[in-house]
Amino acid sequence: MSNKYYEFFCPVKVIAGKAALEHIPYELTGMGAKRPMIVTDKGVRAAGLLEPVVSACEESGLEIISIYDDVPPDSSTSVVKDIAGIYRNEKCDSLIAIGGGSAIDTAKAVNILVSEGGDDIAKYSGAGVIKKPLKPFLVVPTTAGTGSEVTSVAVITDTKKSVKLPFSSSFLLPNAAVIDPRMTLTLPPHITAATAMDAMTHATEAFTCMAKNPLSDAYATAAIKKISHSLLTVMDNPKDAEGRLELAQASTMAGIAFSNSMVGLVHALGHATGAICHLPHGLCMSLYLPYVLEYNLETIREPLGELLLYLDGPEVYAATPSNRRAEASISSLRKLRDELHKRCKLPRTLKETGSVTEDQLETIAEVALDDGSIMFNPKEVLLEDAREVLKRAWA
Amino acid sequence: MFAKHIQPMVFQARRLYVDVMFQVMGRALQAVSEIDSAVQAEARALPDGFLFEMMVMPHGSRLIVEHIGSGRLHYHGDKAPRPIDLSIQFKHIAHAFLVLSFQEKTSVAFANDRMLVNGEISYAVRMTRILNRLETFILPKLVAQRAVKEYPKSLHLPEKLISAARIYLKVATNFVETARAS
Repeated sequence: MSNKYYEFFCPVKVIAGKAALEHIPYELTGMGAKRPMIVTDKGVRAAGLLEPVVSACEESGLEIISIYDDVPPDSSTSVVKDIAGIYRNEKCDSLIAIGGGSAIDTAKAVNILVSEGGDDIAKYSGAGVIKKPLKPFLVVPTTAGTGSEVTSVAVITDTKKSVKLPFSSSFLLPNAAVIDPRMTLTLPPHITAATAMDAMTHATEAFTCMAKNPLSDAYATAAIKKISHSLLTVMDNPKDAEGRLELAQASTMAGIAFSNSMVGLVHALGHATGAICHLPHGLCMSLYLPYVLEYNLETIREPLGELLLYLDGPEVYAATPSNRRAEASISSLRKLRDELHKRCKLPRTLKETGSVTEDQLETIAEVALDDGSIMFNPKEVLLEDAREVLKRAWA
Repeated sequence: MFAKHIQPMVFQARRLYVDVMFQVMGRALQAVSEIDSAVQAEARALPDGFLFEMMVMPHGSRLIVEHIGSGRLHYHGDKAPRPIDLSIQFKHIAHAFLVLSFQEKTSVAFANDRMLVNGEISYAVRMTRILNRLETFILPKLVAQRAVKEYPKSLHLPEKLISAARIYLKVATNFVETARAS
């Protein structure tokens, strides 16, 4: 009997493509919601990304009751409490998150408070605390990277205690993720590159780490193919709506993949670097990915070799001897990273970021070792191993 | 018909095995924290008085250890003196049996969603490293290789044998003391 076992869960309805935003009123009214609140940030408003959502709703006779557009990049418990207060005062009955990871995580946490009651979001921190469905909730991602629209977790900072509170429950998942190419068209080149590499890392780690399974593999490989095919095209032609949609879909697919198979050392190092040096998450992912794949190489040779097909296409795959495919996959990712550096100066090493000092590497290694993602890395990681990877990523 | 009669006995034996393994592991965790500096270094990061539990859902076997300071762990049996800080819970006794009979590595069991973690994840990662270190000492290499993600290259036979002997001696002593006290 096979020892293999896996779980896979994604109940989020994905609404993707041309005029996807115009489906929002239908989806909300279908769930009995009549008074939606939008949760977003100043950047989204400034980029003019609220108008298409608001007008899509108004055209269908669905009034947006309230718009909160002041979500900070690192959301906090007090922000969540404030938004929940507005939601209650305005008698809203549903939420629409528009933005990247922070706006989406904030809306997830607000949904807990307005559904479960109370003002203290910390009370609901942890896994499996929430036991029943929450209010109707839609997510409109404006970056193509985090995959937060299909993950059942949220992280909010408790500013008083200076700790990050994790929330995990399948009830945090939105009812639908609305992926419309209009929402990522204006994304600046360096954010396009970093977020796409975030999605690439989600998919690559999902495909090579310990909890990989046939269903997450299918999503991961499809995401890698889309990113490899479209990223440089979009970098050269940012208004390419088709390419933008491909990247946005890839991000959602990578999100579905990694939320069902977890991630590994790239994320452990990335989380630690983000916490200590405040580097953007996507940048950390792009930077560490090749070095961690090299570290894991002998443990993941087979799946990594398989990825060459999705990274470089069937001709390169067929022309590469099977025992060289894993190395070729790493080279392909390095090449992509170099091309991104050429186009938007996306740093390739820690030194190039200008935000990390060499004496911080030891602390990064120590913090990474306690990160939950490290449990799912296919190869055991000791402190000296983490140090070695960081040394290679330094310059 | 035969299977119908034999099945309850198999379930009973499995429950007994998991129960005994928890008792051995709890005592061995205390013992390894008394003799191994690497385990002490790992445990030192836990707050003093930190209570760790490993249990089978919903009300099955459990082991509770406390960090009593300086990297030392103390086995409390299956009764917690205070609310637990970190709980690793097997969803079913069959999953606990797979791990405790070394058919499934602890890391694989996590990846396979056999267990839930209730509490600070970074402490769970640390406790898993302590459990792995313990298993590499007390199990024969061939069995330990099935239990941990990677058998440490730096652990050589003399160190392993001496540490295992000291741990088993302390576990046996603890069993005798418990029996005398009850």
